[in-house]
Amino acid sequence: MARAGQSGTRGDGIVLAVCCALSLFALVLPGNLREAAAASMRRSLVAPLVGLQKRAELSRSAFLAHDSAMVIQDSISLKAMSAETLKAENDRLRKLLGLGHALKWGFVPAEALHGGGRAAREDFTLTLSQGSNAGIRPFSPVVAPEGLVGMIQTVDPTMSLAIIWPHPDFRVSAMTADGAAFGIVQAHLGDDEQRFLLELRGVPFRTSLEKGVLVVSSGLGGTYPRGIPIGIVLGDLQTAEGWARTYLVRPMVLPPDIASVMVLRPERVAAGVQSVWSLPASVDSAARSVASAGDSLARRAALAEVEARRAARAADSAAAPAPAATDSARRAVERTPAQDSAAAAARAAAARRRAAARRDSLAAAARRDSAAAAPPPPPTDSIRPPR
Amino acid sequence: MGWGGTLRWVIAFAILVVLNYTVRPLLASPSSHVEIDFLIVALLMAAVRVRPGAAALIGFVMGLAADATVPPSFGSSALAMTLVGFAASWLKAVFFADNLFLNAFFLFLGKWVFDLVSHLAERRLRGVEWIMETAVWSPLSAALTAVAGVLLLILLRPLLETSTA
Repeated sequence: MARAGQSGTRGDGIVLAVCCALSLFALVLPGNLREAAAASMRRSLVAPLVGLQKRAELSRSAFLAHDSAMVIQDSISLKAMSAETLKAENDRLRKLLGLGHALKWGFVPAEALHGGGRAAREDFTLTLSQGSNAGIRPFSPVVAPEGLVGMIQTVDPTMSLAIIWPHPDFRVSAMTADGAAFGIVQAHLGDDEQRFLLELRGVPFRTSLEKGVLVVSSGLGGTYPRGIPIGIVLGDLQTAEGWARTYLVRPMVLPPDIASVMVLRPERVAAGVQSVWSLPASVDSAARSVASAGDSLARRAALAEVEARRAARAADSAAAPAPAATDSARRAVERTPAQDSAAAAARAAAARRRAAARRDSLAAAARRDSAAAAPPPPPTDSIRPPR
Repeated sequence: MGWGGTLRWVIAFAILVVLNYTVRPLLASPSSHVEIDFLIVALLMAAVRVRPGAAALIGFVMGLAADATVPPSFGSSALAMTLVGFAASWLKAVFFADNLFLNAFFLFLGKWVFDLVSHLAERRLRGVEWIMETAVWSPLSAALTAVAGVLLLILLRPLLETSTA
């Protein structure tokens, strides 16, 4: 037993010594051999374990990157949201610039602050950033690029308050864009989303309006000049009145979209704004007419080119009959006597036209020469007989 | 120990080795000095059940496998694990397998000795850095390894217990 234990201990010692020797040998190996041995182990014995380790490290990296990716995603989303807002604001300011360019004079641009929902009535008022110092007066119309917004109610030196069209006191004399029907536009006092619609009241019963008809201010009453878009007819509204029709109108300007507005000064109201909101239509028609003019010019140019080619071909054939030796000779064989006589008549007519043109040009040159040599003619008034 | 018991120990050993290459990279960051060494737990668990020579051989193979991923210190882990495996197997009579505190101390000591030997063999650290590594980071790693090892031994106890039928 003791011998067996001793031999076992000796064997263990030998194994230990061999393992330690191999380990030390591995430690003192040159770098390239060490790398080669490690690589061979990585590719064979340890390959599955190295694969597991790589996956684990990738998982950890992905887990750690998730937070930063979320932060980046959030910031990008935030930027995208603000970009949309900026784009919308940019579009709106561009439209406002266009309106200012169309109005040219007599307006005050102002920033609009909403009532803030402190009370039901205040939802329908705007606080404007300009006041009487800028020329704003009570009852001045407030407009946006899309159309009518409301009316100035109270004016302070540096700010003013305006009522917008959903206000229960808002009224504007209106008509259809073609002037077929007149009426009064006021807020539609319906429930929920219908609260933000308008009514065109007092339209004569005999006048029926189609859906989609544009309603503009009529200019009657003096507060609002004629031609400011108010809304678009949505449909007939059933009322108890039997003598007049009432129509539901979708407003051109929605309250949430009101951010920057123009206040028309009294002198601009008096001068009228009829050409301002019809500009897009006239621009469209101008563009269409330019396009059609271009088409007709192109058509004329094409026709002129065809004529010129035809004339050049005719001149070539008249000046050089020799090249006709092949084709025209072949064709001449097939020609009938009637065709020959018709061709001769055409050639004679062309020669007559050329001779007449030459005569006309010679006569014109002679007239120019005589006019240059002759004294200037007396004034027309002097030869006119006295009355 | 019969074939069934040996197979269960082999399975437990394989689980610990796989944990070293899957869970350890998840828990440790590249800049971390303190990490759990599942290979040491597996080596000590095997060493107390085999002869010292076999334990040295197991340590040598495991060390070479660990060194394969770190070519500059190729051989250092092999040397350290050979020594730790042999010593653990030779000293197994000192420890009582059923005492968790003694097992924890056994694991702590094994990991610390392993770190000391491997750092000496690597000859990479010098001066204060070596002192910090051996006196601070290695004991912390050893303590963490000991705690994790004890927990794993508790978890694997149903697998490792031999039936008394």
